Amino acid sequence: MLRHLRVVPHLVGIHVRTYMEYRGALFISWIAQAIGYAGVYASIALVLARFENLGGWSWPQMALLLAFHLLAYALGASLSFVQFRDMEEKVRLGTFDAILVKPIGTWTYLAFSGLNIEYGGHIVLAIGLMAWALASLPLDWSAPLALYFLAAIISAAMLTAALMTIIGATALIWVRSRHLFSIYFGFWELARYPLNIFPLPLQIMMITFAPLGFLAFIPTAVVLDKPVPILGDLAGPASLAIGPVFVLIAMLHWRYCLRNYQGAGG
Amino acid sequence: MGVMMTAIIAASGVSKTFHQPKRFAGLRGALKGLFNRDYTEIHAVTDISFTIAAGEAVGYLGPNGAGKSTMIKMMTGILVPSGGALSVLGRAPHSHRMINAAEIGVVFGQRSQLWWDLPVRDSFELNRHIYDIPAARYAENLAYLSDMLAMVGYLDRPVRQLSLGQRMRAEIAMALLHDPKILFLDEPTIGLDVVAKDAVRKFLSKLNRERGTTIILTTHDLQDIEEICPRLIMVDEGKLLFDGEVTRLRAALGSRRRLTLTFGTDPGTITLTTATLTADEGAAKHYLLEREDISLLDVLGELGRGHGLKDIKLEEPDIEEVIRTFYQTKPTLAGVSP
Repeated sequence: MLRHLRVVPHLVGIHVRTYMEYRGALFISWIAQAIGYAGVYASIALVLARFENLGGWSWPQMALLLAFHLLAYALGASLSFVQFRDMEEKVRLGTFDAILVKPIGTWTYLAFSGLNIEYGGHIVLAIGLMAWALASLPLDWSAPLALYFLAAIISAAMLTAALMTIIGATALIWVRSRHLFSIYFGFWELARYPLNIFPLPLQIMMITFAPLGFLAFIPTAVVLDKPVPILGDLAGPASLAIGPVFVLIAMLHWRYCLRNYQGAGG
Repeated sequence: MGVMMTAIIAASGVSKTFHQPKRFAGLRGALKGLFNRDYTEIHAVTDISFTIAAGEAVGYLGPNGAGKSTMIKMMTGILVPSGGALSVLGRAPHSHRMINAAEIGVVFGQRSQLWWDLPVRDSFELNRHIYDIPAARYAENLAYLSDMLAMVGYLDRPVRQLSLGQRMRAEIAMALLHDPKILFLDEPTIGLDVVAKDAVRKFLSKLNRERGTTIILTTHDLQDIEEICPRLIMVDEGKLLFDGEVTRLRAALGSRRRLTLTFGTDPGTITLTTATLTADEGAAKHYLLEREDISLLDVLGELGRGHGLKDIKLEEPDIEEVIRTFYQTKPTLAGVSP
């Protein structure tokens, strides 16, 4: 295990060097991604300017929710999205086989040799928006609250990486898994808004089957001391537990899929 | 061939069955397939047994879909066998995938393990860390392999700028940097030109002889087998057809020599009991000598004088023909079966 951790900086290093071969494209991608998200947030801000709040959430509160959503997603997805979105190609073309013959954990190799630094734009935008929102909100900060806030971001990032892993791993058995990413991103879009604006069945869905309510809404609501539908007082501990629990599920699922991997023929 | 030691690969009744959802023709069939949960069993490998000793060089041969790659994937820990027992270096490869991977090298002819945009040396350096190769050993092996495979001139060039032959040599070198006990090569000469193929074959043969690295090679190119592997395992439809030395196969099947008799003018059809006429081009007639005990003198004796014979050409069968003969006659063969 320690040996694998020692390899991680080299995996990241070689991938970053690959990016640096096309550094112009990297800068453009950072700027494009940040502009894209800023545009979406501007449209939400405009709607809020007209209606003053959304499900009882003001613009600074919404800004915190959006920033949390983007930061947790970017941290988790940088380790997982592109890597596991492309799993079906890796299986189909046999490049996954080439990873299986290396003396290193396949997840470790995939995640870190594909660490996506294109999420830099997301992270800068999210931190900037978060700093503005936190400065604009009258929050009563304490050490436990600050710790909760940081832990909740890590837990949500873990949830993101775990869900991507679970979806990507299915390609090891079904060969195709991209359609599952479309479902994920459907719920991911909804997770940008307060859960209470949706009908009850959808709220239940986003806390259970597609738990993206935990990506931003639930931890932000806990920090802002707002009511959380269905979970109530359990929202705080649940939002901290969800990441590790899903990482465990993802590990089991990953191992099961590896054991039952059949390749794509040939 | 290196000194024979204990078996380092042992396959006993190994099978691999893939389960594929049943498919139906046409749009209606595709819709039916959505709700049909029946599966078809594809027997890629069926009850295969063999042992390979340390230092051997073995060619694993078969037509497309014969189960060659599936067997290699099981030996390298990529796939789990459906039945039987498989041991590589004393371990079940899949359940000890990482330990197994540290002691083997794998080269895939059709998929690169090098980093496309970076210099060859960067991929080698990454493998140094992944395989935890001591610095001195790494430097020694890099120098040896760069020299043997003539890579010194392009170690610092991005992989994308290399020719296929250069890339394949780099792939082989990368698979050997950690001193693997076994080198698996899945069609390593595919797509290479004659010169590049020759360089790869010579190197692998030398590696096996001088370093005693066990080599397991799948290929479609029979010259690979002839130049690298004294032993041949032949499979078809997932089943073992032949396991033994190439010379034994040639001795059993190699009597089908080709004889061409060229005459001054067309003497008309000449039928012989000692040779079978396979093509008649008038002045040039082609025969097949199917029995080993028939000599050229026997044929000429039967032919007799007076036909204006100008030239005789007798060709020993090359390995391609031996193999072709084997696949054509496999159901009736005795004595060369495993």
